[in-house]
Amino acid sequence: MNDGLVKILDGNTFVVSDANGDIEASLTDPTGLFSFDTRFLSKWVLTVNGQRLGSLSVDDLQYYEARFFLVPGTGTVYIDAKLSVIRRRSVGNGFHEELTILNHSDKPVSLTVRIDAGSDFADLFEVKDALQKKGTYTARVQRGKHLVLGYERETFRRSTSISATAPARFDKDGLTFKIRIAPQGEWKTDLEVDTVQPGPRRGQEQRRDPRRANLAMQRNLQRWIEEAPRVECDWDPLKTTYRRSLVDLAALRFSPPIAGGRSLPAAGLPWFMTMFGRDSIFTSLQALPFTPELAATTLGALGNWQGSRLDDFRDEDPGRILHEMRYGEMTAFEERPHSPYYGAVDATPLYVVLLDEYERWTGDRKLVRDLEHEARAALNWIDEYADLQGTGYIWYRRRNEETGLENQCWKDSWDSISFRDGRLPGFPRATCELQGYAYDAKVRGARLARDIWKDRDLADRLEKDAADLKRRFNRDFWVEDGEYFTLALDPDGNQVDALASNNGHLLWSGIVDKSKAKAVAQHLLGPRLFSGWGVRTLAEGEGRYNPIGYHVGTVWPFDNSFVAWGLRRYGFKDEAAQVAAGILDAAEFFEGRLPEAFGGYEREQTKYPVQYPTACSPQAWSTGTPLLLLRTMLGLEPQGEHLVVDPALPTSIGLLALLDLPGRWGRIDAFGRGRVDVGRRRPVRR
Amino acid sequence: MVSAGDATTQFFEELRKRQHEPRLRGATGTYRFELVDGKKVDRWLVAFSKGDVTVSRRGGAADCVVRADRALFNRLASGELNGVAAALRGEFEAEGDWRLLVLFQRLFPGKARSAAKRSRAGYSRRTG
Repeated sequence: MNDGLVKILDGNTFVVSDANGDIEASLTDPTGLFSFDTRFLSKWVLTVNGQRLGSLSVDDLQYYEARFFLVPGTGTVYIDAKLSVIRRRSVGNGFHEELTILNHSDKPVSLTVRIDAGSDFADLFEVKDALQKKGTYTARVQRGKHLVLGYERETFRRSTSISATAPARFDKDGLTFKIRIAPQGEWKTDLEVDTVQPGPRRGQEQRRDPRRANLAMQRNLQRWIEEAPRVECDWDPLKTTYRRSLVDLAALRFSPPIAGGRSLPAAGLPWFMTMFGRDSIFTSLQALPFTPELAATTLGALGNWQGSRLDDFRDEDPGRILHEMRYGEMTAFEERPHSPYYGAVDATPLYVVLLDEYERWTGDRKLVRDLEHEARAALNWIDEYADLQGTGYIWYRRRNEETGLENQCWKDSWDSISFRDGRLPGFPRATCELQGYAYDAKVRGARLARDIWKDRDLADRLEKDAADLKRRFNRDFWVEDGEYFTLALDPDGNQVDALASNNGHLLWSGIVDKSKAKAVAQHLLGPRLFSGWGVRTLAEGEGRYNPIGYHVGTVWPFDNSFVAWGLRRYGFKDEAAQVAAGILDAAEFFEGRLPEAFGGYEREQTKYPVQYPTACSPQAWSTGTPLLLLRTMLGLEPQGEHLVVDPALPTSIGLLALLDLPGRWGRIDAFGRGRVDVGRRRPVRR
Repeated sequence: MVSAGDATTQFFEELRKRQHEPRLRGATGTYRFELVDGKKVDRWLVAFSKGDVTVSRRGGAADCVVRADRALFNRLASGELNGVAAALRGEFEAEGDWRLLVLFQRLFPGKARSAAKRSRAGYSRRTG
């Protein structure tokens, strides 16, 4: 709320307004009522006797509801404090607003209460890029009881229906109430704003009774928190951070129309409330020990949308897992490729990684059997479609050159992949972490094939392929004179030799030769990469290093959670604890809500983490970060039917207990006591 | 207008011949397609069970009903139009289980300049 805007949401329906609850958006202004990537209201302004209102306070009651306390007049001095206006708004199929006006005087008042309403039906992409609409608008009053705003472009139709419980006069620009309130009396009306769009029928009940819907959401959030494991800890900030993560993760849940009411983590709130292959998978991995059902829904939904053909516009191949799904007008008319868009090359191997990790925790073999075809197709994609150079590696180069993504790895900004001297390589590119994910997918795919699909030939082949990939990778990607893995290979097979955090993901994947791991860990905790808060995306001293460059020097909490996991995998327990401690310390500065990224400045220099300005908060994989750090600090690892606990905690945390961890063992508790002194930078030991 | 050899007929006839379609292993359920050509409505009933497919011309209840102009369906079946984008545009009516619909659109071809497919790994259990 630091931008002065109030945001509430449920899934991908959200309302962004000013502190008065008013919406007055220009095309490029990101306020309004949005649903399925379309703006259904761009104007919603309340006046009393022709006067705008001033805000006394706003309560963000829950992520899906807010309450605005207002008085007539907009100055700093209240013009007429004899009236109070309360707007209580909650998101449903559109939104519901309970409008109450209190008369504090001992005389009756007559008021004209007016709401001006309108919609530009902008696509989210249009709001971002300031594009003009191509269709036609309508506004009509239905039987004097509804105002219906409509938009039409060929067969594409969207509309917004507005109604009220109190008698009102409707016109094409809004509705007016002529009211009289007794002394010390109050007046109330319920306003309903409904979005009308194609899609599976949504809860009719919800539509009819917003109060019941609200209660249902309240219960749902309560159950979500009650069912999650509990954290007991000597260090209070960790409890705050954990609680914040759980509530934010609840808000980030998104039920795609195909998921039958179950939810998966969307990427970010509110502009990225949709399915993203990479973000949904990484967040599901982070949250797996806490809320495994997110992983199950992610696997199901991404599996349903798996690519099945070659399509250049969408960068689609058979077996490929999607990058991003959108539902708005520009997607519908193929002005954008998000129906869905497949331009990511990490999501597909990570899909197999998540499926295996999910089964290791939950023992849900049925899902692994149900998704056998999808998992095989994903493994197939790695070798048959991703190896653009025929060299046995995953490469990327977009086929949609107009609206596709250039960088199809998680560091997807234009300058993220560079040589030490700052030069940018050509395409296709093979970034290093992709090869790690491919290796891990093959190793894990082999386990699934052997244990669950009962296909020994496939298991043998995958294991052989994985071993071969690991051998080649440790030769081709190793930078001899620097003792780390190169960021990428360029189209000629040259090393794109900048030092970057991607090395941590390599540890996580298991592709790193044991003999090389120590050098990699030393780099990750060394002064060029480690800021004291966390591991920088790009090492200090590289040509493009910039402590506030998006992927070229900032610290990404999510990145660090996988770095920590990687360090643990190779036995660097203390180093993992050091990374966890830095990120959790940073979380305290953000009241438990880690941002997408923060500045790569030396910790000693700034004393507090400098937030990178982004429009999206909370971000799913930042929200998931504390959860994965809890896992890595306690050293939680499923082994057969058991959960192994092998804690290595920073001393500052003291005693940590994770209670009621769900999994194939039922529910189990894990304990640890802080013994790792992270106060000073130590050389990496083994 | 309805010719036996149009893309729609070819699409369903080929599906009938295939008998098994691994890409729809997860789509157990029935689809009814009502393809409108002027006053004539052509019906196809497609049933999947763990990838086994039967195609008939009967009517009857279905988990998923799609009602579209035959001309439009010809363009979907030939890969000229993308099914998801057409659905978002509201170019046809669909009712029932949306998950089944999403799975079905896997069967439509796409548009690509190069068929870059190399056959090397073949991790799928059944091919072709």
